[in-house]
Amino acid sequence: MDLDFFLQQLINGITLGGLYALIALGYTMVYGIIQLINFAHGEFFAAGGYMGVILISYLASQGLHPYVCLGISLVLAMGYCALLAMAVERLAYKPLRQASRLAALLSALGMSIFLQNGLMLTQGVYDKAYPTEITSGGFQLGTISVSYMQIFIVGLTAALLVGLNLLVFKTRIGRAMRATSQDKIMSALVGINSNRIIAITFAVGAALAAAAGIMVGLYYGSVNYSMGFVPGIKAFAAAVLGGIGNITGALVGGLIIGMVEIFAAGYISGEYKDVFAFIILIGVLYFKPTGIMGENVDDTRV
Amino acid sequence: MKRLLVLVVALAALGLLLAGCGGEEKAEGKVLKIGTMSPLTGPYAADGNDIRQGAEIAVEVFTEAGGIEGFTKIEVFPQDTACDPKQAVAAANKLINEKVTGVVGAYCSSSTIPASETLAEENIIMLTPASTSPKVTERGLPYMFRTCGRDDHQAPAAVKFMKDVEGVKTIFIVDDKTTYSQGLAEGVAAAAVAAGIEVLEHDHVNQGDKDYSAVLTKVKSANPDLLYISLQNSATGALMVIQAKRLGITAILMGQDAVYHPKLMEIAKGDSEGMFCTFGAIDKDAPKYKEFQTKYKEKTGNEPGAYSAYSFDSATAYLMAVKAAGTTDPVKVREELMKLDFTGASKQVKYQENGDSGSNYTVYMIKDGQFVPYWNSLTGEKY
Repeated sequence: MDLDFFLQQLINGITLGGLYALIALGYTMVYGIIQLINFAHGEFFAAGGYMGVILISYLASQGLHPYVCLGISLVLAMGYCALLAMAVERLAYKPLRQASRLAALLSALGMSIFLQNGLMLTQGVYDKAYPTEITSGGFQLGTISVSYMQIFIVGLTAALLVGLNLLVFKTRIGRAMRATSQDKIMSALVGINSNRIIAITFAVGAALAAAAGIMVGLYYGSVNYSMGFVPGIKAFAAAVLGGIGNITGALVGGLIIGMVEIFAAGYISGEYKDVFAFIILIGVLYFKPTGIMGENVDDTRV
Repeated sequence: MKRLLVLVVALAALGLLLAGCGGEEKAEGKVLKIGTMSPLTGPYAADGNDIRQGAEIAVEVFTEAGGIEGFTKIEVFPQDTACDPKQAVAAANKLINEKVTGVVGAYCSSSTIPASETLAEENIIMLTPASTSPKVTERGLPYMFRTCGRDDHQAPAAVKFMKDVEGVKTIFIVDDKTTYSQGLAEGVAAAAVAAGIEVLEHDHVNQGDKDYSAVLTKVKSANPDLLYISLQNSATGALMVIQAKRLGITAILMGQDAVYHPKLMEIAKGDSEGMFCTFGAIDKDAPKYKEFQTKYKEKTGNEPGAYSAYSFDSATAYLMAVKAAGTTDPVKVREELMKLDFTGASKQVKYQENGDSGSNYTVYMIKDGQFVPYWNSLTGEKY
């Protein structure tokens, strides 16, 4: 098939990969700091998507400009999910910090089911649609279509990533995060409140997931209570693929999974896209278990 | 203190459980119990809840009209099948334990078929409002009835419309690999080939996908006259429509009865304008439908969904048959069901020997956010 087809698929792949990367960042940060795979992370993403549609619809009904609505809703939904994640951490993970890892993992799975059902019961089983004034629009480059939403997703992902990097590598909180992830006990001895740092990590990860949730809602037009599950698994795969615990790795992993999926669907068949995404994951785990960008995480360090 | 709290909560939970058991014993007696089976959770919950509500409203209407002589009350037991064969069989067993005598459901043919076999062992009558696979009524089960149409009538109707009305020469088909959607899509492909329409490609996506950009880019470069969307769910159908329009696909869009749902327009909005869907003809101006619609809106706050009227009619048919028979004995109720010939909310209900009630597929076009009848497959004429 021709070049236009390839370029169009490339754009599709980058958009999808960017979304996966944003969700994967939360997985990777939480794993990096307390070696916990937070299965409830996909639900923060869904909650963010719902918060977005509720806020945008409300603000739009107040007669605000669609883009102003979007900006305010984005900030509020990210804040909401950050608080939600801190509450979840306090309730479901903190009491189990000294328990076996399996207990924390099961607690995470339970939290995921609880949150998903909570969304279903409060928001209903039907899909909720985003207002179209924001979601539609785009332009043509020859025969290639680019929607404004795609540009927005890639741009916002890049901006959030830069912000996250600044936070982790240039601030005191970031330094404390890195220290806690290396050694919780030693960092506590030098005066870092590790419980607070862990809560902040959860909050930042969930805020990024919330942003991804809103973008998915805008990009695809609607949100659904069960929308967190599949992207959650894919983002988890992306985090592992890139090297779990590594921020750049999450970005690279997300982009790879997104691209592989789109190209498998585009050149082979739509039913094979998940197969190929996970074949890549299994291959990486087999040949380079630490992931593409990962270093060895010492288990005994916890 | 904490332990005391846990103990109290645990005892309270246990108490509730016991109370539940006790209540059940009392409910015995002259209560007519009917079950509904449909996906109340998961991606098909929208259609599933429509089915549950349709049956509940039928019972309500029937009760208000005086109920059935000899029974103090009609009770509905809704069960969740999640469109999963295993869960459907479990649901069927649960209904058997509840001693229901009739069941409205299920939704997915892949659930209806195994569940009907479990129910058949206990001679329980099952009326499906939504399963369109030919296999549902072809197995010779005496107590299996169907109020909606059949896929092997829907596929030819859709193809006939493409060729005769729209003059389509090439089509691209996408399904999501469920028993129903793939079976129907294959039926359309075969009928299209027989009618001289070229099938450029028949591609598949996964259930629950949100991103169709890859497959739609393929559609765009294949440039068919028509894109046939055979997905199990109206919400995913809406996503595909939005993404197709955004990519600049100009082909005619056509969906089937699972995509046909008011939620499609609610999500896809302007992007769905001009799209076609096949669905059984329901005369929305008929007094019987209007009556049902008012009642439905009153109770649920929503417009009736795609299968609500079929579900309403299925439950009504069963209740009428029980009333006429004066008993829940399946042999007698079946006899009465076969005698029925009434105007329901969805159509004229008249069951045939195999349990089917005939198909009346119509092509609807989405216009100003509404499904408007466009072409009648039985007469071959536009409305």
